[in-house]
Order: sequence, then C-alpha cells, then structure tokens
Amino acid sequence: MKPAHRWMLVVIGAALLILFESRTAYAMHIMEGFLPPLWAGFWFLLVLPFWVLGIRRINRLIAEKPETRLLLGFAAAFAFVLSALKIPSVTGSSSHPTGTGLGTILFGPLVMSVLGSIVLLFQALLIAHGGLTTLGANAFSMAVVGPSVAWFIWKGLQDRAPIWLAVFLAAAMADLSTYVITSTQLALAYPDAVGGFAASFAKFGAIFAVTQIPLAISEGILTVLIFNALQANALAELQSLGVLKGVRA
Amino acid sequence: MRVIDRYAFGNALRQIDPAQKGALALLAIILCLALDRPAVGALALIWMLALTTWWARIPLRVSGRVLLTEGLFLGLSIIGIALSIGGKTPETTVVAWQIGALWISMTPESLALVTLVLTRSLGCAAALNFLILTTPLVDLIDLMRRIRLPEGLIDIMALTYRAIFVLLDCLERMTTAQDARLGYATARAAMRSAALLASQLFLTAYRRSQRAQIALESRGFDGTLRVLPLTYQRSPRVWQASIALTASLLLAGIVR
Repeated sequence: MKPAHRWMLVVIGAALLILFESRTAYAMHIMEGFLPPLWAGFWFLLVLPFWVLGIRRINRLIAEKPETRLLLGFAAAFAFVLSALKIPSVTGSSSHPTGTGLGTILFGPLVMSVLGSIVLLFQALLIAHGGLTTLGANAFSMAVVGPSVAWFIWKGLQDRAPIWLAVFLAAAMADLSTYVITSTQLALAYPDAVGGFAASFAKFGAIFAVTQIPLAISEGILTVLIFNALQANALAELQSLGVLKGVRA
Repeated sequence: MRVIDRYAFGNALRQIDPAQKGALALLAIILCLALDRPAVGALALIWMLALTTWWARIPLRVSGRVLLTEGLFLGLSIIGIALSIGGKTPETTVVAWQIGALWISMTPESLALVTLVLTRSLGCAAALNFLILTTPLVDLIDLMRRIRLPEGLIDIMALTYRAIFVLLDCLERMTTAQDARLGYATARAAMRSAALLASQLFLTAYRRSQRAQIALESRGFDGTLRVLPLTYQRSPRVWQASIALTASLLLAGIVR
C-alpha cells in the first residue's frame, strides 16, 4: 500500500467517523478559514447592501416605535436560542432548527437580514460555529437568501393556499435554499479538477444532503406546529407584529 | 456554549484589552489566509493552542473540544474536495473507482488541496477560538462600539447577549418539565413538545422585552443604553507574541 493510499484511508475514515458519531446536525455554516480570501471578501461585498438596508429599516422602526429596540434584541436572542432546541429528524437522529423561516414570517426579510447576521456572529463567538471571515458567505446564504425565499413563498401563497402549507413551505424552502447557496459557495471556491463547478456543486450538494434535507423537512413541520401554537396562545402579539395582515382566520 | 462563556470570564487573560487580543487573533487569521501554505496553517494551529493553554490557562481538553465542534462540517466538505467526479479520470490519480459511466478519482493535487484547506481552517479556527475563549462577548461588543459600528446595532447586540441567557434558562426549565412528563418519549411527542416550547419561548421573549421597556422608561430612558466603559490592561507581551507569531508564520510561508 502506497503511503498516499494509507493517508487517504485515514482521512476518509476520520470524516465518516465524525459524520456518524455526531448524532445532531446543525445548520450548515462554513467554518473559519475555509474560504480563500477572495471568495470571503466577495460574499461580504454581496451581503453589504442588505445590511445597510436592514439597519436603515431598523432605525426607522425604532424612530417610530422606541420599544422595537428591545423587541429586536429579544427577537435575535429567540432565534439564537431556537437553534439550541433539539428536534427529532426524519432520519432518526436529531437536528437543530435554524429559525430562519419563522423569524422571517414574524419580522420580515430586511429586519431578518440583520437579526440573522447577529445570530450568525453570536454563533461564531459563543459556540464556535461558523467564523468571522466566512460571516459574509454564511450571512448571504442564511440571512439574505433564506429569508427572501421564505418571504416570497409566505406572501405569494397567502390567500391561495392553506396557511399551514404556506408556513411549511416557507420554513422548509428557507432551509433548502440556504443549503443550495452554501453548496454553491463551496463549489465556486473549490471547483472539481475534472468536472469543474457543476461536478463540484453536485458533490457538495450530495454530501450535505445527508444532514440538510432531513433538517428542512423537520423544521418545516416544527414551524407549522409553532405557528399553530402561536395563533392559539399569542394572537395579540402576532397582530401587533403585523404577521396576520391579510391572513384569513 | 456555557463552557466557552465560562472560560471567557475566568481565564488568565481576562483583564487584557480586547483590542489587543482581537488584533492577535486577526493577525493569525489574515496571515493564514494570505500565505496559504499547509506549514503556516499547522504552525498557527500549534501557536494558538499553545497560547490558549499556557498563557490563558485554559485546559487543552477544552480548547480541543471547542476546535472539534466544526468537525462535521470539516469532515464532510473535505471529502467533497478530495474526490473528483467525472466522465473520465485525470492523468495521474492516487485511486480511481468506476461507478457506471462515472469515475470517482483522487489526484495528488486534490490531496494537496485537502491538506492545505484542513490546516488553514484549523489554524484560523484555533485563532478565533483563542479570542472567544479569552474574551467575553461583553468585551467584544464594547470593542465593536470602539470601532464605531452603528449605535443601534450595538444596542441590539448587547440586549441580545443578555436575553440569550435569560431565554436559555427558560428553555432549559421548560425542557426539564416536559421531559419529566414524558414529553420527549416518542418522536411525535418530541416534535409537539418542541413546538409548544418554542411558542412559549416566543411569548416569554415578547413579554420580557415589553417589561424591560417599561422598566427602562420608568427610569428615564431616552433611547440610548449607556453603560460604564470597562477598563483593561494593555500588556506589552501581546505585542511581543504578535511579532514572534508574524515572524515565524512568515518564515514558514517563505521557506520551502
């Protein structure tokens, strides 16, 4: 056996061991130092306009209603703590929800671009998930694209589909689009030597499907149940956030 | 997560200016990314683990475990980089398997890339972990205020940090109560319990934010949250460590 063979076996073995040993799957954050500097900078540039728009929107909300400041602080904390929740996953192991879909339905996509980025930053600084140089890439997939997709589904399906279906699709598609964008980011940074970007995208997509597709389905189901519980217990709060505007009871 | 927070408040470098610690960590990350050599990443990993262990006096067991929290992501994406899929195999391969019309192969170049990415990520992650294990988030938020991030954003982050622990306590109490009543006995029950818990948590968050607003207003809240600035020590040893780190990483990056 050539030394390179042996090395390869060790690497693959270790990777598989980690994959099957960790019973709980987190959302897919690109870790610190994983992206080359050019790509890390590129995603920061792409996400910057959304941060500017989001902060301007938050400043306007605070100027109108000063209590929004505290509400947003607690909202970001709620989204962060939600990712500490363990939910059963369809594959039998468990996973952690991202809260992207629910947060978007409650607070809207522009506010979520800032709140989601704060959550990502805190995840990097408090639980060592994700990173600082990869914050731009992670924020683009999870705080910009995910919420936008959720918002379009939620608004587009209102009055056209049952409310549970709109909630399920918004939450599940937010996770799925985040997963697709992250796979794209990885494939762009590390294209396949033979098949280029497309082959690389297929590779990363297939590998992360193991954890991310069950997560999307579980989170969709969970978000529907949360939304039902919120309608039963927190109708006044939902109305004051403007969530149920245009929703038939 | 409480582990990181606990060590952040109780390590030997707690009193040192976060700007200095942040600069040291950032320097290591930038050098790792800019020099882009396996030796640099490996050296940064050793440097940062050593600083965390002997200087900040955080057990190696703890920093090692924190480093491996991203193991799943790293393990999975490394496989993606190592293997190539295509209709044909490249000229030189280490191994190649054929599945139907597709070839799954591994080249010496892809293995070199794996080594590079693995060492670089671990080196950068160790630098970031050095920062978060030695500096509490309150200090980092204070640092962000000093580098003039938008004031509204800083306020929200400071509130978020406080609210996270309030809500986490709440979450843990509710989980225990549900668990004691067999709320997580089956997958179906677990899903229902998790949903109930999340909705109650949302209510708690909403109502607490309103109560905090009332409490602040009754004390003359005018829209800005003012806190006393923290005082830190500036240590010349941080600069010495930074210079030694830069010199050794540059050397590892240049010498073949």
